[in-house]
Amino acid sequence: MPAVQDILVLFQTTPALTAPPVAWARYEASKGPIHDLVDESESPYQSAMDAMRDGWQVIQMSELKHRSPEEGYELGPLPYQTVLSKFNEVQNEEGAAS
Amino acid sequence: MSEHLISSKEMAQFVASGYLKFEDMVPKDLCAACLEEMNDNRGYLAVGTPFEETWPKGTALGDAFRLPQVQGLIHSLVGPEPLYDHHAAHLVQAGNTRGPDMHQDSVIDFRENYFDIQLSFFPADTPDEMGGTFLVPGTHFRNVRTGEIHIYQHMRGKIWASCPAGTVYVWNTRVWHGSRSNHTDQDRYMYKLRLNPTHPQICHFDTNDLDDPEIPAILNTNHGWEGNEHRYELMQRVQLWRYVSDQPDYDQGERFMRRIEYQPGEAAG
Repeated sequence: MPAVQDILVLFQTTPALTAPPVAWARYEASKGPIHDLVDESESPYQSAMDAMRDGWQVIQMSELKHRSPEEGYELGPLPYQTVLSKFNEVQNEEGAAS
Repeated sequence: MSEHLISSKEMAQFVASGYLKFEDMVPKDLCAACLEEMNDNRGYLAVGTPFEETWPKGTALGDAFRLPQVQGLIHSLVGPEPLYDHHAAHLVQAGNTRGPDMHQDSVIDFRENYFDIQLSFFPADTPDEMGGTFLVPGTHFRNVRTGEIHIYQHMRGKIWASCPAGTVYVWNTRVWHGSRSNHTDQDRYMYKLRLNPTHPQICHFDTNDLDDPEIPAILNTNHGWEGNEHRYELMQRVQLWRYVSDQPDYDQGERFMRRIEYQPGEAAG
């Protein structure tokens, strides 16, 4: 079976690779799209660094944000994210994880 | 009405977390009658009209949302004479699964000192595996465009409705939320009703405990996802608390609002 790219996104409130994730998402081509999301209360890793030590490669980390007086107190999406990549074999050919 | 108003502490919890949960709000026999009606309850009524005029009378659902305890809850949060916004009987059929669904309702809304409420009524026992609606408490100050936050598949602090029949959750309509998989062999209903205020949302709740010493800690609640953002969240909560409690100078703890409002020139007169 071919190895394809799995993506893990860790969302943080500071950009550091040692920051604890407060939200996370998986886009795993080896398993396909998620049709039945199973609730998780804790992140799979305590930080991006922790994931790196488990073989994940960082393909994007966040820059610090410039803050203006007008926007400095605005809230919106979570401010920072780290995108990690790992290649894994396809688990089924139908492309649909449960 | 007054005996059914929510307390100041409950209002502070609504300001901080964006929701309140009330079990046993609707009697079981009325729940059963509502459930029957939900099978044939589709479509919006006249959006933006007075709720009391628009909401059906002489039906189980008409009666459920006119129960004194429900009316007291509505009055506490949006005040008198609310407008009907919309309603829906949300159904997740038996065995129906759901992928990532985090979203914020409607369209992005930056109005300050204003919020709509949604009443989410669960007419049947809704255990975890039945897929009750999930919420992320405290996210109601974070304006986003509807489903773009599907990307937050999992988030610390997420909770979901797991409750007996007759439970009503009431929430600020800006709270991030979504639906969940129903792994049972029974359909799952959640009946939603959204209402708009017609008066400033100031002190419509029971203010007898407005000075309760627990209120600062309630406003300071950490739901688990705030991290480095927590003090910015607290500032938003303090500003909304100032408004709804009619205490324009309210601040607490390290007084972050004072830090950005204090002007030595003005202080010197």
